[in-house]
Amino acid sequence: MRKLLSQCIDINSQYCPCLLADTNHCVFCSHLKGQSVCDCNWSGVCILYEKHWQSKKRTSGNGEIPIRIEVETQFNIINQFSPDVYMLEFEVTSNLAQQLTKTGSFVFLRRPQDPHFYHFPVGIMKVTGNSLQVVIETIGPKSTRIIADDNRQLLVRGPYYNGILGQPWIDNLTNGKVVLIAGGMGQPPALPIAAKLIKNTNEVIAILAPGAIGKTIIGEELCELGVQVHEVSAFRKDGIVMLEELCAKRPDLLVSAGPDDQHYAIINVLQSIDVNIPMAVTNNATMCCGEGICGSCQKETLDNKMICTCKVQTDFTQLVPY
Amino acid sequence: MIKVVVVGGGWSGCAAALGAAKGGAQVVLCERTDMLLGTGLVGGIFRNNGRYTAAEEAIAMGGGDLFVAMDANTRHKGVEFPGHSHASFYDVATMEPLVKKILQNYGIEIRTKTRVVNVTRYGKKIQAVVVDGGEDIKGDVFLDTTGTAGPMGNCLTYGNGCAMCMLRCPAFGPRVGVAAKCEIKELMGQKADGSFGAMSGSCKLNKDSLSKEIRDQLDSEGVVVLPVPENLRKTSSLGKKACSQYALPEYAANLVLLDTGHAKLMTSYFPIEDLRAIPGLERARYEDPCAGGVGNSMRYLGIAPCSNSLKVESLDNLFCAGEKCMPLVGHTEAVVTGLLAGHNAVRHVLDMQYLELPRSLATGDFIAFTHEQMNVEEGLRKRYTFAGSVYFERMKELSLYSTSRTEISERVAQAGLADIYNSCMV
Repeated sequence: MRKLLSQCIDINSQYCPCLLADTNHCVFCSHLKGQSVCDCNWSGVCILYEKHWQSKKRTSGNGEIPIRIEVETQFNIINQFSPDVYMLEFEVTSNLAQQLTKTGSFVFLRRPQDPHFYHFPVGIMKVTGNSLQVVIETIGPKSTRIIADDNRQLLVRGPYYNGILGQPWIDNLTNGKVVLIAGGMGQPPALPIAAKLIKNTNEVIAILAPGAIGKTIIGEELCELGVQVHEVSAFRKDGIVMLEELCAKRPDLLVSAGPDDQHYAIINVLQSIDVNIPMAVTNNATMCCGEGICGSCQKETLDNKMICTCKVQTDFTQLVPY
Repeated sequence: MIKVVVVGGGWSGCAAALGAAKGGAQVVLCERTDMLLGTGLVGGIFRNNGRYTAAEEAIAMGGGDLFVAMDANTRHKGVEFPGHSHASFYDVATMEPLVKKILQNYGIEIRTKTRVVNVTRYGKKIQAVVVDGGEDIKGDVFLDTTGTAGPMGNCLTYGNGCAMCMLRCPAFGPRVGVAAKCEIKELMGQKADGSFGAMSGSCKLNKDSLSKEIRDQLDSEGVVVLPVPENLRKTSSLGKKACSQYALPEYAANLVLLDTGHAKLMTSYFPIEDLRAIPGLERARYEDPCAGGVGNSMRYLGIAPCSNSLKVESLDNLFCAGEKCMPLVGHTEAVVTGLLAGHNAVRHVLDMQYLELPRSLATGDFIAFTHEQMNVEEGLRKRYTFAGSVYFERMKELSLYSTSRTEISERVAQAGLADIYNSCMV
């Protein structure tokens, strides 16, 4: 498969050029990094050009930089998997719902009356019409606020796209063999990944582990999609053995949906049996703003670059392990 | 076998590939777009003024294949137009396949739609170039003939924006310089006012959109000079042009059209409504750049510092040619520097002394003089070409300018360089 080149997930979308371009910190365009000549590898629409035309639009109208959509809505708890894990369902505008069908989409959620820094990122599990399903684990101060005092009001901000590192691999693979490992809270975002892979006529084998939430929750739905599902009681105990067997057959792609520990465990498996397979993973970085500004999701790559993982695509194995 | 990787398939890259192949190397030529020749796809002028001498020198040195091909594919020979004598125009519509065939006959592997985006190197030695998509192309020695024009961001910052020229960056991706990827600080040419870059000096009209009289005159004589109405003359735009040999007052008072297959208009750009105010051009439309009414490509935005052997400074195994090696103008200039760089690339691998052309030859003096001028204040504000401006004046002063084939080949023989490019060194 094509080597994954570091690339901004928002490049050439309606959210590009973004706030970073305004301050000469664009991930891609050398001019918009303050340099004097072109030095980019992007063969799509020139970002400087987009900025050029956008500036004209801005002076002629009221337009601001297209930062994301915000929708105030009400949610229902449609399932509770464990004392702290809730599945929520809520309606958003058709425009936002449609934009969240892309692989790796996520939104920020908070109570409408709370200050903006209460918002936290949540991966999309399912989009049906204008209705979204997500699963949240209410363990921190932000997520707990959502359900406290029988609150049902929600402010949804989105779309954000960099929920999966290695997303282009998932989008571009057709007629391949894929092993999907989903554990704990990695399961909800694994569902749209599996759906995308199946849609592209790939053969998907899933290993599901209950993880920290103590339950597997997407097994049935994966089976309905046509995924071959193996549920294990613990990934480290049974899953690794199964994974070793599957990897020996050289699938085209691995997808790890779960905590970083799970990603690293899989990398260890690959190293121990000496195979090298592209691996897409869920992005678990702590995110505050989602726009590449605040720096909370910044990670260092093996070639000593700092990247904001809320915006920049990279191969997870190219990040400096913590 | 010596493996030479040439990055950039314009005239200089084609000549460099040829120079290396004739020297005995296995050559891969990588081109970003789907056709060779770069701006040579819309150029066409050669053998005018001192370019005649330079072309004949290359032929006498055994590197004449490309000039012979141009000669064989001319629409017009011996054309006189303001400031220029004995010009030939090759047919831009049919030149590229011919050049491709010549290179293939020399066993050169041509890889189109292969855009180099990075290099792998250890210290000062390049190991491989990385192609968009991740593939490595390894080699013993590399040639940077990526030019200095565009891409879109530069045309926007230093010019009037992307005019949709033959380089077709939006379709094939931006130019990426090999030297720049090796962290070589590239030089930038300047306009007369000191701002960076210079605009390409000609645009091309669709011949069928011109009046029958103009078309007929182009077909029969190769050149049409149309006076520009007083109210449309803009002398101030002259200093911005890349081709200083056409930055003459005559070109502000007249529109000069040359028949290269297109009607080549010797001005960077010309608003279409003004153009159509000129009798005979009422229905004129642009062929290249598509938006020739608003601008043209910006050039000289990445010149690699190099020696007179065309080896890039601070790197062991990178050579450069064409606009990459100095602020030169023209196909002839690209070809003669390309031949030298390709030849020297082979010498590098064989640990031979690099060839430097002596100053008794126009080409040798041209390379040395231009490199000297690049270190002089304001030197980067000028363009250098055998066809006009400062260098043609110098050629005449030093009696290097000649249109006598015998005289030129004698000079080459005296320098001990007869047929040098034809000798297989491996």
